[in-house]
Amino acid sequence: MNSTRRFIGRIGSAFALCTLLLCGSARAANLSYVFQNQTLMFTHIARTAAGSALGVDDPAFRSLLKSLGATLTWHPGERYVLISTPQPLVINFAVGSKSYDVGLLSANASFAPFLQGQEAFLPLDDLLHSLGLTSRSDGSVNVLQPQLTSVDIKGSGNQAVVVAHAAMPLHPRLAVNEPSRLVYVFDGVASSIDGIRQVNVGGIRLLKIISSGSVRRPSTTIEVDLAPNARHGAPRSNDGDFEVAFGGSGGAPPLVNANVAANPQPPSPSVAPAPVNPPAAGATVSAVTVTPSNGGETVTIAMSGNATYDWHRLRPPDNRFWIDIHGAQLEGGNKDEAQPDPLTSLRIRQNDAQTVRVALSLSGPKSISVSPSANGILINIGNTDAFDVAREGSGTVGNVVSANEPQPLITPVPADEYGQVSNESAWKFGPQSSYVPTNPRLIVLDPGHGGGDRGSVHDGMQEAVLTLDMARRVEALLIARGWQVKMTHNGDHDVHGTPRSKAEAEAMGYTSPDAFDLQARDDIANAAGARLFVSIHANAFMNSGPNGTTYYYYTPQSLPFAQEMEQDLDAADLGTKDDGVHKVKYYVVAHANMPAILIETAFLTNPFDRERLASSSWRQHIAEAIADGIDQYARAHPVGQAQ
Amino acid sequence: MKASRLLLLLVVLVVVAGAAWWFLRPRPVVSDHLTVYYTKLDGNSLGTWTVSLRPPQPGESAAEHLHNVALYAAVQSIAGPPSEVSAIRFPPGTHVLNVLVNGSTATVDLSKDVAASAGGSFAENGEFKGLVYTLTGISPINAVQITIEGRKVETLPGGHLELDTPLHRSDW
Repeated sequence: MNSTRRFIGRIGSAFALCTLLLCGSARAANLSYVFQNQTLMFTHIARTAAGSALGVDDPAFRSLLKSLGATLTWHPGERYVLISTPQPLVINFAVGSKSYDVGLLSANASFAPFLQGQEAFLPLDDLLHSLGLTSRSDGSVNVLQPQLTSVDIKGSGNQAVVVAHAAMPLHPRLAVNEPSRLVYVFDGVASSIDGIRQVNVGGIRLLKIISSGSVRRPSTTIEVDLAPNARHGAPRSNDGDFEVAFGGSGGAPPLVNANVAANPQPPSPSVAPAPVNPPAAGATVSAVTVTPSNGGETVTIAMSGNATYDWHRLRPPDNRFWIDIHGAQLEGGNKDEAQPDPLTSLRIRQNDAQTVRVALSLSGPKSISVSPSANGILINIGNTDAFDVAREGSGTVGNVVSANEPQPLITPVPADEYGQVSNESAWKFGPQSSYVPTNPRLIVLDPGHGGGDRGSVHDGMQEAVLTLDMARRVEALLIARGWQVKMTHNGDHDVHGTPRSKAEAEAMGYTSPDAFDLQARDDIANAAGARLFVSIHANAFMNSGPNGTTYYYYTPQSLPFAQEMEQDLDAADLGTKDDGVHKVKYYVVAHANMPAILIETAFLTNPFDRERLASSSWRQHIAEAIADGIDQYARAHPVGQAQ
Repeated sequence: MKASRLLLLLVVLVVVAGAAWWFLRPRPVVSDHLTVYYTKLDGNSLGTWTVSLRPPQPGESAAEHLHNVALYAAVQSIAGPPSEVSAIRFPPGTHVLNVLVNGSTATVDLSKDVAASAGGSFAENGEFKGLVYTLTGISPINAVQITIEGRKVETLPGGHLELDTPLHRSDW
């Protein structure tokens, strides 16, 4: 019996030994390391003849990756083990291959990774090395030291940038800041690249890298000796890089990166809401007088209080002009007067409960300028003919504060004769399109974001507020020109379409029934059979570099619309850079049946652009340009004719 | 004599047919390098860098190799080019959870960190343009379906780019 047991035991041992030899590994005792004063206990350890292997499911390993800001892409049983570090570097191990990649470099590991069960095991020393860590022993414990992997000096002549790299974010302290010497200390970081380098560029004379400290508390110092009058910029720490720019005497102020704001940004002015709705306080038009002026006439509209106004003039040979003053009451009743040349008649009306209209008929296409004054509005009529002139404009009188009340989604077409569009081509449609709008007079405006979706938020300015403001301004201008306008939302709220059940949404692979916000915006335009769709946005980026106005389209029928809008807005001299027309599959322009564009008006994250977005006059300016573009495009293109 | 000539002819035909099959058989294109695309800071134009690819390992089927290459390509694209290159990059922490290749469509499952962008369409457009161009450079992939934590989304939260259907190069 005992001999049988011994036999079975020997067979079992032999089997285990064979297994070990065949597999080349076996589970082994835990390994303990100290990393940044924390103890890491690796428990998924296997021993091989060539060294220890670490299982990628090891909790301490996952914790280490998290500390380094690295991420792991791997699935049980799979061959590739991919680690991304913040530097960024991609580390690629593969089961069965001793070769592994760290970024663009390849190296050979001490042994090939292998699978134990479904878990991949990687050669521990090579894994730690690839992560920029070195194991050192202080006699009692093993310490994982992050390594300063390299220090580069880029540039020549009067400019230079010193860049230190590591596999983890670097946050050195500036220990010495003297005109002739800077000393940066990287606490907790070891280095094996100690030395002194003669530099002589960018005002740097010498660069010294010195490692010090203990095994548990390593430290690396970078000492920069500077030439007289040398200057340095603000340091930048980003992921695994630390950068400082230097400049010799007489050079431009050094910046690390032109795309990164090295100086604090000026505070942004607050965003005033759109003065589209009539101000609650209101204004009073007390008198309208006409006086001769330099061969022409000056019409003075005397008024008090706060109001907005917009003006329009028809194309020759129809030489009529009118100005609507919103939120105003007319004192003294309506008036019709004949006037001497160049002004042939003047008509003053309380056009509706909140609008006073002053309409002029001119003897010809005379030059006109409109400007607010301390006591109202001045309209200067010249005695010369002017053909290539603006046909509409707007402005404010007093301190306009808008009401923030939602408006009806479809606004009525003005019934007044001046508000009617007489050009028949206005009802026709654009090129390269078989789409026939059921309501060719309807323009749908989509203020980007809103409600729970604030869009880009920067320095207290919210994209959702800005886009609603600009869309409301465009809406008012288009209505004044006789278009019907439908807003996808005319208050700061979410847009929800046909309610879907959670089960239905999940069956479609979506996370929630709320995932259809953008389709709901298209549904509004499609269901209404609108003529054109314009989505208005403000852009943003992670740094202040990118700027400008961009036009996006997706469907072929939308390209001419986008191109003409770009031309019109560019001609309007917005002051922003023209970033061009681009095809991108943005949802709202891809699912609208009609020609549809998305305009990114300017960048909230760029100081120059942000200043414009914060200005109500600029928002009015771009709104006028957008309304002009829509109006001109819709009038210019016949329905259904391919070009 | 005639029979032996016929036999010889038959053998030659078989060898030629076998050789033709061997050289013309359908097989994935195996390249030793991968072109990874990124979008430059103008928001539109593309740049590239090249990384080496592992050859198929012993026991690695063509389908598994395609999966591994697509996985590697997606991870490289999300990581972005070397730090000294000015590029539109995915938000920090964004990583590839999985890649599945089904026919000509690669489904790339991303971590929810991808939603933490600056909010404008500029970054979102540039990020995904580079990713789609990178993956569709791998034969036979010509479309990329994006999922976030395993779920389809209309767009990123507060986003613009349509993600609920596969993206193609022709979408730009």
